[in-house]
Amino acid sequence: MMPLSETGALGADGVLLTAPLIGFAFGWFLERGGLGDARKLTGQFYLNDLTVFKVLFSALVTAMLGAFWLDRVGLLDLDLVYLPETWVLPQALGGALFGVGFVIGGLCPGTSCVAAAAGRLDGLGVVGGMLIGVASFNAVSGWIQPFYESTSLGAVTFADLAGISRGMGVAIVTGIALAGFAVASRIEGTRS
Amino acid sequence: MTRLHPGLAVVAAALGLAAAFDDTSPTYISAPALAERIMRGDATLRVFDLRSLADYNELHIPTAVHTTVDELSRTPFTGTETVVLYQLRSFDAGARASATSSLRLKGARRIYLLREGIYEWIARVREPRLATDATPTERAEFERATLFSRFLGGVARTNVARSEVPAGYWTADVQLPAARSGAAESKALQAVLQVRRRGC
Repeated sequence: MMPLSETGALGADGVLLTAPLIGFAFGWFLERGGLGDARKLTGQFYLNDLTVFKVLFSALVTAMLGAFWLDRVGLLDLDLVYLPETWVLPQALGGALFGVGFVIGGLCPGTSCVAAAAGRLDGLGVVGGMLIGVASFNAVSGWIQPFYESTSLGAVTFADLAGISRGMGVAIVTGIALAGFAVASRIEGTRS
Repeated sequence: MTRLHPGLAVVAAALGLAAAFDDTSPTYISAPALAERIMRGDATLRVFDLRSLADYNELHIPTAVHTTVDELSRTPFTGTETVVLYQLRSFDAGARASATSSLRLKGARRIYLLREGIYEWIARVREPRLATDATPTERAEFERATLFSRFLGGVARTNVARSEVPAGYWTADVQLPAARSGAAESKALQAVLQVRRRGC
């Protein structure tokens, strides 16, 4: 029964050993997919290269369908999978800040590590900026705490909020993703 | 685009479409939401306690009826009821599928699970807690919980150490973290267990 980390099947040491392996695999696939290149990443904002959108949405849909059906056949207990909590305004502001940083730096946190590991100076620069951001947040976290903890919705999902079944939520997101892929391919086709 | 991509898209579409027709996914209800329904005398509400009879006799949610999954599979429903199931803590995938499938076969349509079972009821309705350094949002939620607690014969507690009230606990339908870990009991569950140990 999965998740192996929560059911204790891996043990504490197993979890610690598995985490870097998954991290290295994630980084390797990002690099091989060309996502350590800032020009490729920022291409999505100018609609001339939508690789990032397609790669990340593919990963999202694969994980979502896999998790849903593994739970359905009893191999995974989705209730044991950590569900991050939602704070609407803080996360909206954080998302906007993230987007601005992404456009300016050309890289996001994961891909900046990949770029830095591949020896790219821009990757090192973004990793440095990210660390400065982490330290700055830590320094002012007490001051911004009331905002940071505001507009809490708890551990909710899109399906919870919409009042639909989990399966219907999966179907809708899958449909959106497939439509997005079709639109992305068309946009890239017209620009190539 | 390679020839593989359309094939993968068809597989994804098929799995996504099949998911839409899957009606065994659980819907959860929080303890305060359940308390609200009980308080307003929701005539469609049918609450079932799936724990042992001894546990049920010691403490159960008002209006709840003790039953087992086998008995549920023989209980007829009209489809208009709001059915709530709970056990000691959260349901694992097998127990969840077994209970909800039985209900659906007997005609029930609106089926809810109390996410963290009787522990959530104790911690959020029967004995809500307010930390000494509670935020305004937590205080507002606590006031709401206090109404439920008074109505249902519980005892609200104020000036509780922060360590006994998990962060964000009173501000949303947050899962108790210990219910996920399974191994070491977290402070949240410890706090709830202390309530239990006092004979609540």
